[in-house]
Amino acid sequence: MVRQLVELKARLTWNGIRNDVQRRIGFPVAMLLLTWVAIWLAGKHLAVANELATSNGAAFNSYMGWAALFFFLGWVTLPVIIFPLDENLDPQQLAVLPISGNQMVQGLTAASLVAPATIVPVVLLGANAAVLGAGWWMILPASLIYIGLLMVGAQLFSAFVSAILRTRRGRDIATFMILGLAAGSFFVYRSVATTVSSIGMEQAALNHTIMDWAVLVPPVAAQRAITEAAAGSVLSALFFLTVSTGWLLGFAYVWRRLLGWMLTTPAEGSRPAARARRHGMASGAWGVIPTLARKELRFYVRDPRQRLVWTGTVIFVGLAIAGTIMGATGVFDLRERAWAPLAAPILVLFVGLPIALNLFGWERNAASYLFVLPPKPHQLLIGKNIAVAIGLTIETFILAIGLAWFTGQWSWIWMVIPLMVAAVGCQLAVGNFVSVITPLRLPREGTDVFAQSTEQGCLAIVSQTVSFFAIGLLLVPPASLMVLTVDFGQVIAPWFTALVTVAYGLILYLLSLLVSSRLLNRRLPEVMAWVQIV
Amino acid sequence: MAVDNVDLAIQPGEFYGLLGQNGAGKTTTIKTIVGLLRPNAGTVGIGEFNTWKSPTEVKARIGVLPEEFNLYERLTGAELLDFTAAMHGLTRSEAATRRDELLELLDLTTSGAKLIGDYSRGMRKKVALGAAIIHRPPVLFLDEPFEGVDAVSGRLIRNLLQQAASGGTTIVFSSHEMHLVGKLCTRVGIMVEGRLIIEETPDGLCERTGMDNIEDAFIAAVGGDPNDESSWYAS
Repeated sequence: MVRQLVELKARLTWNGIRNDVQRRIGFPVAMLLLTWVAIWLAGKHLAVANELATSNGAAFNSYMGWAALFFFLGWVTLPVIIFPLDENLDPQQLAVLPISGNQMVQGLTAASLVAPATIVPVVLLGANAAVLGAGWWMILPASLIYIGLLMVGAQLFSAFVSAILRTRRGRDIATFMILGLAAGSFFVYRSVATTVSSIGMEQAALNHTIMDWAVLVPPVAAQRAITEAAAGSVLSALFFLTVSTGWLLGFAYVWRRLLGWMLTTPAEGSRPAARARRHGMASGAWGVIPTLARKELRFYVRDPRQRLVWTGTVIFVGLAIAGTIMGATGVFDLRERAWAPLAAPILVLFVGLPIALNLFGWERNAASYLFVLPPKPHQLLIGKNIAVAIGLTIETFILAIGLAWFTGQWSWIWMVIPLMVAAVGCQLAVGNFVSVITPLRLPREGTDVFAQSTEQGCLAIVSQTVSFFAIGLLLVPPASLMVLTVDFGQVIAPWFTALVTVAYGLILYLLSLLVSSRLLNRRLPEVMAWVQIV
Repeated sequence: MAVDNVDLAIQPGEFYGLLGQNGAGKTTTIKTIVGLLRPNAGTVGIGEFNTWKSPTEVKARIGVLPEEFNLYERLTGAELLDFTAAMHGLTRSEAATRRDELLELLDLTTSGAKLIGDYSRGMRKKVALGAAIIHRPPVLFLDEPFEGVDAVSGRLIRNLLQQAASGGTTIVFSSHEMHLVGKLCTRVGIMVEGRLIIEETPDGLCERTGMDNIEDAFIAAVGGDPNDESSWYAS
């Protein structure tokens, strides 16, 4: 059965590449990108490990434990926090087949290895083996257990979050959970970076010996089995191999139970707000564009993924700023900068990006419903743009007021408004264009809300990075005007800067709207075909 | 090619049944007419309007019940009807009145405040039908309107369609429920492998194929044997 599921995954991957242009482009891009990441990480790992191995054995061992732990944590959580690395088999489709729970878990684990992302742990484990060659007899079994922990751990974590999202209360707290993870990762990173930069890697590894906790930390146990073998302690190596195997079986057992529960328990339905239940959409502004905008705003709140985009990221950005300010050494002191609140419109650009750049992707299959309705393309774009602009405006104000309060710089707070118009205008201008030219298909919401193909993930990142730079470039003129006005003693009159900045944003937006709506008129069936989940 | 060289003209007020086996091209034909699929060649339109030159005018005159329920799962039934009414330019009061009437007519009054994602298949079909007719379009396209609905809902949908047809609405629908095709349609078109091979009245089709009921007539028309009773289990 395991073999059949592996073959199924391979067949699905191959058919996807053969029949889908997006995947034909995305697959090689994904492979190249991931290979580069793998080699870069392996190079760094080898360099540090070799240096420590020659200078201090204890520090070397400690570092190897930390490396195993950090890679494991990144592998398990990144697909949920940032973007999924792999498209997994859907257990829902396998549930009607005569497969036992154990077979399903084994099959899904083995099948998850058939993915471009597998190149990363394989290359890293190769590098690991190169520095721990003395423990050669333990390298293969412990590495296999480690890979098993990665695969099962990632699926268990993803299934755990998906299970939480199936309950009404869980959906409410999921945002904060993901946020907590993101913020936690950020602070861990800051803490490690600060410690290493201040006392050096060797001392940091000696001061925090994770290997002492190996019994409790599964990936570290697998690594310790190899380091003990390399040190010649056969019994100890076998002990830690047994411990890590036990952890792997434990993870698999919990995952099996969780899958069993998810496959047999229906998801709890959401309850719209009382006002929406009473009045539908008949209260508030009426007409094609306002109703479209209100539909979008309701989805921002009701769709857990969109809610994550709007809430998680802005708080994360806020935490990042706070962390930078608090932990800054040698970085300019933000509190002395009069323009500090003006950073808000620029920072907020990060927040709306996944929605502004993929306006129709979020429609998913309902795009075919929307596109048989009579609104003109420019009305569709304006309706969606208004909703994005409202989201960005609210977040800009929250962030600007927060920054002004934190820095005590209130004198230029009013300038946030014209700069925000320019920033939102630029983002929507690029967003409309990209949404029509390269719409992205979002994953199906099912057992695993984070399932998404690697190629889509990579294309999403490439498309969003390029677009972000384009938005940045477009913002250079208004930002320069702002700097000249605010930071260079009002070389240009503030009213003139405000006026030009607003006009700049509006003109760019209107130009893009003109081009994008014409393009959408011509490409409607293509946009629908790209975003629909088959 | 999913659909090839189809020449189809439906007159105002007709109740037209588009028939064919699975994969014959019925859904593709409907999607092409309503503007969701671009034809490689030829023209499609509603009345004087070409679907690809005047898409807004065409869409304003049609109501569509798609085969797949690609509805907004995170809107309530009432919200979907409001949303659709607004998109068709109805006033707020008109929309609210028609929404309440349709929810009652379709037996969805109590579930109108629930999200569509929580609806059963039959409820989705009914709310999708409500959304397709809320603006009282002169032309209705219905892809498998009776598939997956219970007998009570099926009767309700049938009555609604008969009312619409008697009021002069042109209805184009695809269905595998042959007894309903025989009862409702004034004319049927049969598609085989993307081609429209026969256009007849239901009685005319029976006569032409020498069969005494529409189901056998359809099977005979697509090249099947209405008397075939071969059994895989028996072998």
